[in-house]
Amino acid sequence: MRRYPRWPIHLALILTSFVMLVPFYWVFKTSISGENIFNYPPSIIPRDPNLFYYVDVWYAIPFARYFLNSVIVTVLTIAANILLNAMAGYALTRGFRGKTFVLMLFLSCMMVPFQATIIPAYLITAKLGLLDSYLGLALPQFSTIICIFVFKASFDAIPASLIDAAKVDGLSEWRIIWTIMMPLAKSAMATNVILSFIWSWNNFLWPLIMTRSPEMQTLPLGLSRFLSYQEDTTGALYAFCIMVLAPGILLFLLAQKEFIQGLTSGATKG
Amino acid sequence: MADEDEFERPRWKVWLVNRFVLTPVIILAIALGWDLYASMNNDGLVVGRVIDAQGDPVAGADVALWIFNFTTFNENKHVTSGPDGRFVITGNPSHHIQVTAQKPGMGASPRVPIRLYFRSQNVTLKEPLVLPGA
Amino acid sequence: MVTLAPEVEPARRVPFAARKSTRQAVLIWCFLAPSLLIFFLYRILPLAWNVVLSFEAWSPLRPAVFIGLENYEEMLTDDVFWEALLNTLYIVASAPVGIAIALGLALLVDTDIRGRNIYRTLIFLSYPLMTVAVAIIWRWMFDERVGLFNYVARSLHLVDAPIPFLNSFTWALPSVIAANIWQMLGFYMIILLTGLQNIPGNLYEAAEIDGANAVRRFLRITLPLLRPSIFLCFVIGMLNSVTSFDLVYVMTGGGPGRATEILVTYIYKLGFVQTRFDYAGAVTVVFFVLLLVIAWAANRLSGGNAGAVERD
Repeated sequence: MRRYPRWPIHLALILTSFVMLVPFYWVFKTSISGENIFNYPPSIIPRDPNLFYYVDVWYAIPFARYFLNSVIVTVLTIAANILLNAMAGYALTRGFRGKTFVLMLFLSCMMVPFQATIIPAYLITAKLGLLDSYLGLALPQFSTIICIFVFKASFDAIPASLIDAAKVDGLSEWRIIWTIMMPLAKSAMATNVILSFIWSWNNFLWPLIMTRSPEMQTLPLGLSRFLSYQEDTTGALYAFCIMVLAPGILLFLLAQKEFIQGLTSGATKG
Repeated sequence: MADEDEFERPRWKVWLVNRFVLTPVIILAIALGWDLYASMNNDGLVVGRVIDAQGDPVAGADVALWIFNFTTFNENKHVTSGPDGRFVITGNPSHHIQVTAQKPGMGASPRVPIRLYFRSQNVTLKEPLVLPGA
Repeated sequence: MVTLAPEVEPARRVPFAARKSTRQAVLIWCFLAPSLLIFFLYRILPLAWNVVLSFEAWSPLRPAVFIGLENYEEMLTDDVFWEALLNTLYIVASAPVGIAIALGLALLVDTDIRGRNIYRTLIFLSYPLMTVAVAIIWRWMFDERVGLFNYVARSLHLVDAPIPFLNSFTWALPSVIAANIWQMLGFYMIILLTGLQNIPGNLYEAAEIDGANAVRRFLRITLPLLRPSIFLCFVIGMLNSVTSFDLVYVMTGGGPGRATEILVTYIYKLGFVQTRFDYAGAVTVVFFVLLLVIAWAANRLSGGNAGAVERD
């Protein structure tokens, strides 16, 4: 046991937490402050606090529509992700000719970030006729290599004896996957859900490039459009910001452990 | 998840009392409750009184409703205050309005801004409109 | 690896299509096909297409014309390109700063203090959030008139006039970097924390018995065994900073002038504002090569071999 005083550690961590939280408070207080937000000096405690800016934002922009778009695209992405990644992860646990080639291919694809592909991806999506559609928005994220490897590792960890016993019992390949392997890969599924949720929900560049009509815009896009909407002296923009952040924060607080586990396992397995 | 051997907990309870189910259910309940409340109170009524500088009710004052439209307010409805100074505006479509009263010979009251929580919320003014006049 | 015991079947008498091994192979490739298709469509094909575009003069109306290295020649004399490249390198060089701070935080959180999970959550909170929202938050914090930093600086009489953080050529890029570090700090900390927790405690005890003080224990045990985590942080951090389109676009839009223009925002503007897909393709090729160099550099920085720890 190391003997050292605890309070400096607490102090340092409290200071750090304060630094990490102050931006949220600053924006929150602006969003409920009833005065001209550009008055100097800015007040630490908001003067004349009211919630009416949230009402203004709700009626001024199609928040529900943006939210719905984001939700649809995210759900589509998550569902496709689980399906495709589990399938590919399972396939990679078996030996077959060309497996090394496929593995090399996957690993090299990991090095290609999305930003290096935007122009041809736009052209391809245009050629497929998927511009400005939910499918086109979700398609590039239908499968991610990190999650494939997470599934692969999870399937690899299933003892071979279990599979062999199932084979002896006469179960077909398909049934083995669904009844034995998938239930045991729950943590891999959770990781996949979380990772694909974060990437899809926060994705800004792809909807920016792809969407043509205002009805198909997702939440990040709507938020950045609102920047240039009205340079007024109220906290409406920051109310919008808080409204956009709230689901993300809520989800994170609900599923903290899974989030952190998912991100670290996704990163380390990659 | 509870193991059926050690812990006699019905399956449905395990599925229900779980933060991933409870939170959306609670949020949905709040949203529905709010929706219900809003739909019961959104007749667009604006009720108030007009008084003069001495505090006596003013009858026959012209009360105007102004509706906020992006950057400016536009005049929308007019009603006349009754004998006791009360007025009732119906059909307010907006969440951000102003009311003002005037009567020839008694001046005009300042514009009172009213912010509502949802469109056409029924509201009763706490402070009456004061005509400064003679 | 899961393998089945091979079935013994006389191969001659069973047609190829009905053989179990063939059916298995078909099944496996069917499973791989959708993912492979997505990667082909959205990773491999775009990469190749970028290279092709970079050698052409592309226009939406006429068919493309091969023009050789002209796009690259234009790049050499393009001031904006060089500024963007420089800014990108600045941002990449700032990643180690965040990692160092996160290492300190991880060491603090790894101690057996009460409430470490709360600290961990509070510090990590910023990472899963929408970068666009983070950019707006920091844009407001750096505001010239009423931003927090200006308010504090002027209240403490550090400066007389407000500093236009996002509008000054000297302060714009550091401001963006600060916002980026703020967002990534929690992520680095979690990775380093996981690495720290994987170091067996008896190593420390043995070293203490041998008389090593805290600094020596840190340098000789902690740092080397943390190499895989540090490598991961480097790679992800540098990748993230190089591709931080959202942050730059919303916070400053690349300005003032081109002070915060990075390669990705330049590519976006070339492609989707000026519709110069061919030149943008060339810049993308250079961007990708830069990425490979950075990954190689990250590898070297964390001691080579993807940060793997050599056990002797």
